[in-house]
Amino acid sequence: MCLDDQILNTYLDGELVEPWKTQVEEHLKYCTACSSRFRQLQAVHEMVCSSRLSDEKIDAAQEKILAFMENKYLHKEKKVKFLHRDFTMKTPTIIGIAAAFVLIFIGAFTIQSPSLNDSNVLIPQVVDTQSGNVTQVSSIDSLTTDQILSNLSLEEILSYLDSKGFEVDLKVKSVNPIGESTD
Amino acid sequence: MEIKSSENASFQRVYKEVFPVLMRVAYHVTYNLDVSEDIVQESFIRFYEKNIDFVSVDEAKYWLIRVTKNLAINVVKRKSREKAMVDKIKKVPKTPVQNGEDALMNTETREMVRSAVEKLPEKLKSVLILKEYADLNYKQIGVILHISESNVKVRVHRARKMMETMLDRGEMHVS
Repeated sequence: MCLDDQILNTYLDGELVEPWKTQVEEHLKYCTACSSRFRQLQAVHEMVCSSRLSDEKIDAAQEKILAFMENKYLHKEKKVKFLHRDFTMKTPTIIGIAAAFVLIFIGAFTIQSPSLNDSNVLIPQVVDTQSGNVTQVSSIDSLTTDQILSNLSLEEILSYLDSKGFEVDLKVKSVNPIGESTD
Repeated sequence: MEIKSSENASFQRVYKEVFPVLMRVAYHVTYNLDVSEDIVQESFIRFYEKNIDFVSVDEAKYWLIRVTKNLAINVVKRKSREKAMVDKIKKVPKTPVQNGEDALMNTETREMVRSAVEKLPEKLKSVLILKEYADLNYKQIGVILHISESNVKVRVHRARKMMETMLDRGEMHVS
């Protein structure tokens, strides 16, 4: 035999480079021993190859595993991303809400506090002297016009008392139409 | 074309291209379809989770083939330690008869090739499977197995020689 099996196998696999490739081809044309040996090797190769796993079985498995991978990994990754996005949006929202609450509280106190001071002025200071007796100790001389009780409307006084937490029960006892007698 | 294994587009691309090869590698090492599916799935899970950058689809392919081959060989080693499991592997996947009149001959050939491949020593088996079933050239096989191209050439030759002897004997037994 002129060509050894290894060269023939390399040639069979298409891995033999020039100039040996042409030389082998030329040799196989006239050497019957080598060409029949080559055909034997080719037959072994084809026999081994022919028993390969069929494409249909591969296709079925390919789809099955892809579905699994998509469910468990590829899409899951997206979900995680969404969560992250959610969190980055949520955190400022929570802080915003908290800040709003704080502002409302502070605001409520700052808005209320001047009116608390006003009360000393607006409401005539009441001092107990004896039980059953009340004495009004307030001077109107130093006050501006809008702080004098008699200059305020009934509604203003009521809303003020209401905001201070007083419960005011106002009743109209009798109304006399103008020009008519009361009896 | 750079490949990021955890990136959806990259993953899909590699999956589509490499899956059949991985399936064949796993199958011809274990000769069990269910086990092969598990192995290939595991390979892709590792591929995805490791989040590796590859310079090309081919590089990713070589990595995946290496992982799949090693997983499959480990399964076979583990199974051969558990005698009972070996029997199970051998009995389960009697490849169903295909359509056509030469179906019987085909299964016979398959069985013969299969038992011959199973008998090959690991070094030759890996090379032969990558050559005959994964359609890779000597250079690619060398990269995957971390051996030289000429070493691949020698192993292909030796594996075919052993296969030829075993198949000849097989044919004699059959006829």
